[in-house]
Amino acid sequence: MDDQLAWYVAGPVLGLCVVACRALFNGRLGVTGGFSELVTQLGRGSLRFDWRGWFALGIIGGGLLFALVRGGAGVDGYGWLTDTFDGSGGAFAIAAILLISGVAVGYGAKTAGGCTSGNGLTGSSLLSPASLVATATFFATAIVVAFAVEAVV
Amino acid sequence: MRAAVAGALVGVVFGVVMSWSGMADPAVIREALLFQDAYLYGMFASAVLTAAIGVRVLARVQRRAVVTREPITLTTDQPERRHVTGALLFGAGWGVANVCPGPVAAQLGQGVAWSLITAVGVVAGVWLYLRRSGALETEPAAG
Repeated sequence: MDDQLAWYVAGPVLGLCVVACRALFNGRLGVTGGFSELVTQLGRGSLRFDWRGWFALGIIGGGLLFALVRGGAGVDGYGWLTDTFDGSGGAFAIAAILLISGVAVGYGAKTAGGCTSGNGLTGSSLLSPASLVATATFFATAIVVAFAVEAVV
Repeated sequence: MRAAVAGALVGVVFGVVMSWSGMADPAVIREALLFQDAYLYGMFASAVLTAAIGVRVLARVQRRAVVTREPITLTTDQPERRHVTGALLFGAGWGVANVCPGPVAAQLGQGVAWSLITAVGVVAGVWLYLRRSGALETEPAAG
């Protein structure tokens, strides 16, 4: 995308979000934890989300705010998937791949105790051995898989 | 109420930065994973460094959390098998779709149509895990 925020601004602001969650809630910033809270409460028919649920909803609000100010989404297409597949058959393929990948991301993150934010940012910043292992594993896996996809398409 | 507002505000900042940094664009993540662009690594490293310094300073100057009044504790965990198996599964999904939970939420807000499918998948994955671990029937589970 154009007009990308400089990495040396984006990174420290994300880091300060981790600090803010600790300062405000003694909490562990993690988006999967937020999704998990939403699923758990909605499953009980409750809207009484804790801060993590509201944090996840806030991210949706942040995306909306960004799109409103910018006058449109900051995303054209959906990466290699929309570059590779077209037509109605292609749309079906994209949907199937995204659904399966999404399940892997959600189930995997819960199993590992966090995703890119919970383990990658929060856990790594605490030098938590479990998070360092998880972060190294998911980065290495994603890199290998991305190169595998690149080799095929 | 204060927890909801404070949590949502941090989320808004997080979501704007996810969007503005391009992390919500699968094409940008893909370029990073293929080592065509170093942005993600610079951002990630500076985020971890900032958080690492920040939480340690915080633990020295502040006793209790502002909203929950809980004592500030910096706990760590020892690696278990699940941290590897879960991360393998997570990394595979991230490597294929080039989106993770934060960007999915930001995409939903931006109105990216495909993100609805990814979000359904992520929620289904989380739900499946919670169901298998029995967390949906009993009291709230941590984490």
